[in-house]
Amino acid sequence: MAILEVDNLKAGYENNFVIKNLCFSIEKGEFICILGRNGSGKSTLIKALQGLLRTISGKITIDGTNLFSLTQRQIARKIAYVPQMFNLAFEFSVNEIVYMGRYVHQRRLNGGSPGDKRIVNEVMELTGISRLTDKKIAHLSGGERQRVFIARALAQDTPLLFLDEPSSHLDINYQVEIYKILKFLQEEKGKTILSTEHNINLVIPYAQRLIFLKDGKLYGQGPPGKLITKSNIKDVFDANVDIRKNIHSQLPEISLIPQKAKSQ
Amino acid sequence: MKNMHRQRVKLLISLIILLILGFFVSLLKGPVKTNILDLWHFIAQNDATYSTIFLNLRLPRILLAFLVGASLSLSGAILQGYFQNPMAGPFVIGVSSGASFGAVLSIFLGLNIQVYGFSLQSIFAFGSGFAIVSFVYLLSQKKGVFKVETLLLTGIAAGALASSFTSFLIFLKSNSFEQAVFWLLGSLALSDWIHVNAVFPYFILCLIIAQWLAKDMNLLVLGDETAQSLGCSVFRVRKIFLVISTLLAALAVSVSGIIGFVGLVVPHWVRLLIGPDHRYLFIFSSLTGGVFLMYSDLLARTVLFPTELPIGIITAAVGAPFFIYLLSQNR
Repeated sequence: MAILEVDNLKAGYENNFVIKNLCFSIEKGEFICILGRNGSGKSTLIKALQGLLRTISGKITIDGTNLFSLTQRQIARKIAYVPQMFNLAFEFSVNEIVYMGRYVHQRRLNGGSPGDKRIVNEVMELTGISRLTDKKIAHLSGGERQRVFIARALAQDTPLLFLDEPSSHLDINYQVEIYKILKFLQEEKGKTILSTEHNINLVIPYAQRLIFLKDGKLYGQGPPGKLITKSNIKDVFDANVDIRKNIHSQLPEISLIPQKAKSQ
Repeated sequence: MKNMHRQRVKLLISLIILLILGFFVSLLKGPVKTNILDLWHFIAQNDATYSTIFLNLRLPRILLAFLVGASLSLSGAILQGYFQNPMAGPFVIGVSSGASFGAVLSIFLGLNIQVYGFSLQSIFAFGSGFAIVSFVYLLSQKKGVFKVETLLLTGIAAGALASSFTSFLIFLKSNSFEQAVFWLLGSLALSDWIHVNAVFPYFILCLIIAQWLAKDMNLLVLGDETAQSLGCSVFRVRKIFLVISTLLAALAVSVSGIIGFVGLVVPHWVRLLIGPDHRYLFIFSSLTGGVFLMYSDLLARTVLFPTELPIGIITAAVGAPFFIYLLSQNR
């Protein structure tokens, strides 16, 4: 059953549509990655899908209801979002940040219930940040910080989890770490995961389906084994590459072709 | 978490002790020499002279100092969260100067009407303060992100402009040096019960609203889109916060002129002590600001006794170096 359906979606900023006539759907429990060049509309799409943009038309159906008829609070109980990494102006502790994921389930003046506490501890355990609980966000490494924001999104306790370039600015060990956690969430916790990504090779072993965006339009979609071809990569990214088989996963992998230095 | 809780209790106890101490010292200090016995006599026998001194002169002044300090600090705490910038404040971003201009303008035009304890003066102060903050907001925002440099420079420039208009009006009308000092450097010398009654209910109202929306402010600090995705109605909440922070600054200015830097430094100190969670930051900034201004006023009254210093000199002497320190840290 489709948990999210997108029909003829246009979205963008101030009368400028970045996303054009997009149609696709996401099944419950799927792990999908959106790929495309910079400016192809990946971030715009992931924002549009959760009602964060005002310049928008078309139809988005979530769990059978029209997304545009839901309040921000109602949406926040269905979709959790990990935005691109940014710097915080104030020194919140890890614990405080993760608790913010619970706000949407709390009454206004309530602190936190034992239930909130249990969930916060659980997601911190799951993302391996329990020992950081009293640390200030600014004192963490990039990988730790990203896990804190994933934990906050998990504390929201939503069926859907959206992430915008979760691996950017991370060392390769952390990049893999993040996708390992996401895969676990999908397989063991039944989360439906949608992430944008620019590192294609990184996501091939984890995503069940890839969506290629080109100039705000859907170029193609399908399992990595089918979609990663020499000609597709050439079309979408304008890059000449070789495709070979990863010896561990038996899945296709992109291999860059070294180019000669340009002579004038 | 537990640690923070202990910090908050510690701060609360210190503030209460300081508050009580400052209250009595302020009550006893003044042009007429009084001691604790006089106070006791007054309470026991209700002497008319002492009644005037304590009840009509000193008590309203102490209360107003506290209320103005609390209002400015709460306003600053809100603005810092609002602009996601620990260097914002009602004075730095020009709200205070704008409000001062409005207040002086209404006096200049000879408008003196009271509506629900709201003088036309404070309404004018609110209007022009709000105009300035909106102006600064529009100029310093780019795609929902505030640039520190633009925010501070625009605020300071807009504030300077408003202050020059204020001075112009004052010199046109009265040619009075005292008036200029009052509006540009702040003073609590004109405190009376009318002022206290005008500020008190609106301060309480703003504090309640701020506490009510404190969780939303925590989310806003993460950026508008993140806040929205966590369930916060960003547009509505932002509007409310902008209105109440301006209202607080305008009220303070319309009864005591521009008292700079209070709203900047107090939330900062509090954040250093108990962390950035706005559920506690708002209320603790209010308390700390009140106590801070009470002591500043005490200093202003006693340093050059019997001459009274404008209180803005004291707060600037404390606040401006701190502001420079913050700037150097921010690099």
